[in-house]
Amino acid sequence: MSAVTATKDRGWIIALIPLGTLVLFFVAPMAYMAAVSVFKNDPAAFFKPAFVLDNYAKFFAPFYYSISLRSFVQAGLGAGIVTLLGFFTVLFVSDQSRWLQRFWVILLLSLLCLSEVVIAFALLILFSQSSGIPKLLAWLTLWDNPRSLYPSFGAMMAGYVMLGFSIATLMLFPQVSRRDRAIEEAAQGLGTAPALLFLRVTLPMFRTALLAAFITLFVYFLGVFVMPTMLGGPQNWNMTVIIQDRAVERFNMPLGAALAMIMLALTAVLAALLLWLNRQQRAEDA
Amino acid sequence: MIMIRALLRSIFLWAIAAFLLIPFAIVAGVSLNPARQIAFPPKSVSGAWFVEMVTDRGWQVAIWNSFSIAFIAAMLATSVALLAAYALWRRDTWLSRSVFALGLAPYMVPPIILALGASVFWAEVGLYGSRWATTISHGVLFVTLPLVIISRGFSVLNREIVDASNISGASPTQTFTRVILPIIAPYVVTSFAIVAIISVNEYLISSFISGFTVETLPIKIFNNVRYGYTPVLAAAAIGFAAVTVGVLVLVSFFTDLVELFGGSAPEDLR
Repeated sequence: MSAVTATKDRGWIIALIPLGTLVLFFVAPMAYMAAVSVFKNDPAAFFKPAFVLDNYAKFFAPFYYSISLRSFVQAGLGAGIVTLLGFFTVLFVSDQSRWLQRFWVILLLSLLCLSEVVIAFALLILFSQSSGIPKLLAWLTLWDNPRSLYPSFGAMMAGYVMLGFSIATLMLFPQVSRRDRAIEEAAQGLGTAPALLFLRVTLPMFRTALLAAFITLFVYFLGVFVMPTMLGGPQNWNMTVIIQDRAVERFNMPLGAALAMIMLALTAVLAALLLWLNRQQRAEDA
Repeated sequence: MIMIRALLRSIFLWAIAAFLLIPFAIVAGVSLNPARQIAFPPKSVSGAWFVEMVTDRGWQVAIWNSFSIAFIAAMLATSVALLAAYALWRRDTWLSRSVFALGLAPYMVPPIILALGASVFWAEVGLYGSRWATTISHGVLFVTLPLVIISRGFSVLNREIVDASNISGASPTQTFTRVILPIIAPYVVTSFAIVAIISVNEYLISSFISGFTVETLPIKIFNNVRYGYTPVLAAAAIGFAAVTVGVLVLVSFFTDLVELFGGSAPEDLR
């Protein structure tokens, strides 16, 4: 900071505007939701102010346990697949020409920006009997009586992958493309086999980045709504869908809010746990 | 051996690209098919569904809703992010740091939770179901990406230029508008475009806040898929995707997207 501006710096006033906006429209709604989670449900209005823990108590039932478990499994599986595929893609793309890199960045950015709804609709058509893969397989005489491949777990997972792919790749791209290639070249020069080179040299360089991508995707997939509803069946519905169902379809805002609070807490604990694991790992490496 | 590996890598990349692109190719095909039923490949080519989409009152309203909300939300998010990034750049204090951290937070919270919070909040304020509620929530909750992008702009801003401007007697406002803003303008424009695109495409938050009263494009598409659909939907989806890609390609002309997203600088590559 130069002496000129430091003498009468009122810069902190500038920070107050974004602070106020964020507190009012982000923190306050979150806090209010926390309050609503202990309110009483009132079918006539939205809810009635009270302090009851019923909404939380309802969570401790086998139904919600299995939904939670399912949400975690689906999010974990999706995040794992996407991180792995995304990492290889970025690794290979970063060695391509600049022109091809731009093609990939625009492709991935477009996907990042595309609506979940549009992506789900595109996959729905891809898996439909009238226009997609089943029709192609029937035409190739590989499938005698084709039917639509959705709703199914597989279709929903394809949705997860397509949705998360751009996030993973764009997160990993900076580190991977700026990596010190001399290290790999040195190992190669010493005659390290490609597979070993990858496992021992390339992969460890990005352990933190990969973990960060995994956590981000995991949290993101926990909150996915459109994919399970459009491409999955009721047996694939995750906590997000259940929250929407309770809060909007069944007009029980307090229960929805309580479930959302539990989900928020679980997400936070998990993110903290993974970050802690990562720190342990780095301490061991040092 | 090296050739084979390069070939395998190319095959992998093309397979991924195909997985990402083929669904949209099929939707494009469906949208051009004049038949009433959803079918691919198209028997003949016609733009009738696109015409129906832009002339149908329901779709027009949805398009207007989406774009008007997105425009104002993008202005809001970009302004908030610009101020927060500028405050942090000026002075690294606990206040400017916490504003920055707070701006990153919405990105880490699952959207369903943001949506639920926003809907109870607006219900209490009395704006539940209003387009303004959706607009403001979009504008504030999508502040993270502009914040990150504009901060990157500030990080390349040379402090000596700003000092020179101050020493020459420019007021802080003049320095901001005449020196700082022109330099970080590409980052601001990129942020604006990105928030606008995200807002146009967002489903869950808009559906929670005003889904029953203000039908945006994603809400209309979602509802149509649920309750039976015609190829107009394919036309809408592909038109939508085309606008998104078009804006990004446009942005790529005045911002180096590869570099913005942290790719290596041109001279690093052989």
